[in-house]
Amino acid sequence: MDELLIEGPLTELANRFGNITPHIRYPETEDEVAMILQEANKNGKKLAIVSGGTKLGYGGIKPNYDFTLSLKKLTGIVEHTAGDMTVTVKPGTTMQNLQQFLKQHNQMVPLDPAHSSASTIGGVVSANESGPKRLKYGAARDHVIGMRIVYPDGKIIRTGGKVVKNVAGYDMNKLFIGAMGTLGVITEITLKLRPLPKHSSTVTLSVQEDALNDLKSFIIRIQDSTIEPVSLELINPTLSKSLFHKDEYHLIIALEDVKKAVLFQEDWIDENKPTEAMMNVLEQPEDFWTRFNELTPNSQNDFHDTTSGVMKVGTANMGVFPLLQECDRLNLEGNVQILAHAGVGHGLSTIIVSGQPENVVQWIRYIQAFSEEYGGYGIVKHLPFELREQLEVWGQQKGSFSLMRGIKQKIDPKNTLNEQRFIGGI
Amino acid sequence: MVLLSRRKKATIDPDILALSKIVGTKSILHHKEDLLSYDCDGFTIHKAMPKAVIFPKNTEEVSAAVKYCASHNIPFLARGAGTGLSGGAIPLNNEVIISLVKMKNLLSVDYENRKAVVQPGFVNLKLTNSISHKGYYYAPDPSSQYVCTIGGNVAENAGGAHCLKYGVTTNHILGLEVVLPDGEVIEISPNGVLDTPGYDILGILTGSEGTLGIVTKITVRILKNPESKKTVLAYFDRVEDGSHAVSDIISAGIIPAALEMMDQTAIEGVEAGAFPVGHPPDIEALLLIEVDGITEGIAEQIEQILTVCENHHVRDVKVARDEEERGRWWANRKTGFGAMGAISPDYLVQDGVIPRSKLPEVLKEIRNISKEYNLRIANIFHAGDGNLHPLILFDSRIEGETEKALLAGTACLKACADAGGSITGEHGVGIEKKEEMRFIFSDEELEAQTSIRDVFNPHNLLNQGKLFPTPSRCMDIKKVVNETSLTKST
Ligand SMILES: Cc1cc2nc3c(=O)[nH]c(=O)nc-3n(C[C@H](O)[C@H](O)[C@H](O)COP(=O)(O)OP(=O)(O)OC[C@H]3O[C@@H](n4cnc5c(N)ncnc54)[C@H](O)[C@@H]3O)c2cc1C
Repeated sequence: MDELLIEGPLTELANRFGNITPHIRYPETEDEVAMILQEANKNGKKLAIVSGGTKLGYGGIKPNYDFTLSLKKLTGIVEHTAGDMTVTVKPGTTMQNLQQFLKQHNQMVPLDPAHSSASTIGGVVSANESGPKRLKYGAARDHVIGMRIVYPDGKIIRTGGKVVKNVAGYDMNKLFIGAMGTLGVITEITLKLRPLPKHSSTVTLSVQEDALNDLKSFIIRIQDSTIEPVSLELINPTLSKSLFHKDEYHLIIALEDVKKAVLFQEDWIDENKPTEAMMNVLEQPEDFWTRFNELTPNSQNDFHDTTSGVMKVGTANMGVFPLLQECDRLNLEGNVQILAHAGVGHGLSTIIVSGQPENVVQWIRYIQAFSEEYGGYGIVKHLPFELREQLEVWGQQKGSFSLMRGIKQKIDPKNTLNEQRFIGGI
Repeated sequence: MVLLSRRKKATIDPDILALSKIVGTKSILHHKEDLLSYDCDGFTIHKAMPKAVIFPKNTEEVSAAVKYCASHNIPFLARGAGTGLSGGAIPLNNEVIISLVKMKNLLSVDYENRKAVVQPGFVNLKLTNSISHKGYYYAPDPSSQYVCTIGGNVAENAGGAHCLKYGVTTNHILGLEVVLPDGEVIEISPNGVLDTPGYDILGILTGSEGTLGIVTKITVRILKNPESKKTVLAYFDRVEDGSHAVSDIISAGIIPAALEMMDQTAIEGVEAGAFPVGHPPDIEALLLIEVDGITEGIAEQIEQILTVCENHHVRDVKVARDEEERGRWWANRKTGFGAMGAISPDYLVQDGVIPRSKLPEVLKEIRNISKEYNLRIANIFHAGDGNLHPLILFDSRIEGETEKALLAGTACLKACADAGGSITGEHGVGIEKKEEMRFIFSDEELEAQTSIRDVFNPHNLLNQGKLFPTPSRCMDIKKVVNETSLTKST
């Protein structure tokens, strides 16, 4: 278990994004994690937990931690039972490595969060990250069936199990998924797998702003029809320009099934699409999705002069229309650039706001309020530390907050782990 | 009249009076004869009497009743249709039962956003029936769906035959309104928006078996009906062949909507029951396999399934000709538990889970258990996700046989746990499997769970004595069962 003190880039990273310290410890086993936590907890030390390090700009308003615990060296597949379609993996394994391993067995974890080459399964689960395929496949909470967690006092707790269906006791997995590392350190994750799709295809439809309503009606028809898209991602014109060199709304429809069923769906879309819409079946869908996967800035790559903030906005499924239209109105105001894509059918949007720091903060705040007005929420997934301090990055707290605080107090009474990283300063 | 009520008042328990003020005198039962049918749920081996049963009509009444109970230190619990199979709704501590059956409305359906809002007493199947004219349905389909409530489904995280492809209750719950054990009403994602910031309170409440709060409103996801469904019935001479066919279907990259299995004893039962379909009596196993999705894609998958079955020496395999035939096959399967009543005076339903690949070994182990205890065990289960339902057939009139059945059930769960599985896949722990929790969790892990209960339910007045083994009372649960009335199960 090395202790590393890195100067230079790490200090810069810590200064810019926070949630990491120049003093990092790299445990190589679960027992080492337990030892470190036990010791820290006893001595009232405060730890930051990192895995891939892509989410340092996500939550967190505490300027300093005593040291950082990195999961970079806890990597690899622990167990894969192809016949049971389950895999057990260590948290520091990147999404890409995990998927590449499973691909040899014609299987996949049906999660497609951003930055798959750098983000790790531990980080993805802890931040409850998902991508466009969420529409069909669901989120981490739908796929994680078991975990091993090191509690702040060093005890090791197993949650769930290794079987795909299980209701024994409380569904403790749920507590740690999306908890931003504030309750325990995940040292092993067991997931349900899916077979790789036999065939897949990606279709885009583009329309000008004035035909957006027709696109909306078409999407409602898709939902009522028998076709079963894997994703229905709506792209605003600003983002379309950089993805497709075309200043129009784009709807990206991904299809996965046996070949005949995919082709049938392509035909259905062609026959039923709005008259104004241009349809295109992508020739290199994989390249497109790889590019799409790297759209947002993250704390590993964002050292640009302009400031970028990334938001995750949740609304009702159809709420993404007013949201994206509002983003375009803001684009016209001119002092920031807003790129947005939205999952119609699951209601989760990703919004990138770039410009001068004060304008970025101002419009993030505005979008948060706008989303809340529509019964949703807006949280900030990526933003430099000093700007996060000016915002409620987790949005408004809701009625169940006292339970959340109670849970934190029960599990981590000394606030040893990722203090103030999460909602309401938890 | 006036006199009469005055006289009654004098003898009536003040708690009953207070509770009748909250829900109205027509919505409370407290006479012994009226309470008898609330002394157990679908787990009929254990019985206990409630103090009273109340039927609130809205969230405010639930909250007021809970506040009253909490401030007077009266244990209480929620009850839906009472079909739970692990004893979750049994009033072990003379509870006030808060029955949600009068809160049974469908509050709204939003097709564009694919969600519906229901009250907890709304019956599962009614939701699908209410939206099917638009081509939509609610996916979790426990076999008890024509009576069980969605509130009870949330509490148990209920599953069903079609959960293999579409997931169990927790995958379909978008929002909840909950009355906490102190009477406070909280709403979690009331608009059904995904990933509400903060810990996943929705996720921890679902499947908490009514020990963390009383669910008073539920926002669920609704799904569009698949374009087509095809159902295959396959008969195997040897149970091992059936098991291997299950594995190979999944390995072929097919995710059937349902993949169910029955063994010979189960077949004898369903054929003697209300919906026989003429399964041959001399096969060791049958598989009921359903594939759904886009019509164009189905034929190919059915072909593959037929090939797999043939590779495993299937005796006979057929595809349902029409909806009528498909319906008959499913009625035969879904009434399978009850049908055991036709071949045995009593039966005990167990609910273990194993990794799918361990199916042949564990089924063999269950046969050994059957021999060892000299009790017949029928297996009727969700093979696709490894969720076994051994049905232990016994006769409670024979001295000692109920205890033997319970022990055989425990042995089946031990076999599942030893194979790397779990002691329950959908029926919950309740009081039935409390001690068996130790097969899969350490003391520290159990403590981690009860400490979460303490956050929601610090005085443990809500549904006390369920879900977790009692550390202080080292008595074997089986002894507890011995001492209480051992009655016939249905
Ligand atoms: C013939 C038969 C077949 C079955 N098949 C299946 C099956 O295929 N899959 C499956 O999963 N289950 C099955 N079950 C079990 C049972 O039907 C389910 O567990 C169901 O979810 C229970 O619903 P209920 O309304 O009857 O709840 P109840 O039995 O009334 O209560 C169950 C538990 O939930 C709690 N509860 C009830 N309502 C609420 C509420 N509103 N808020 C908080 N807690 C509440 C109770 O306190 C209790 O602990 C079957 C049962 C039978 C009898």
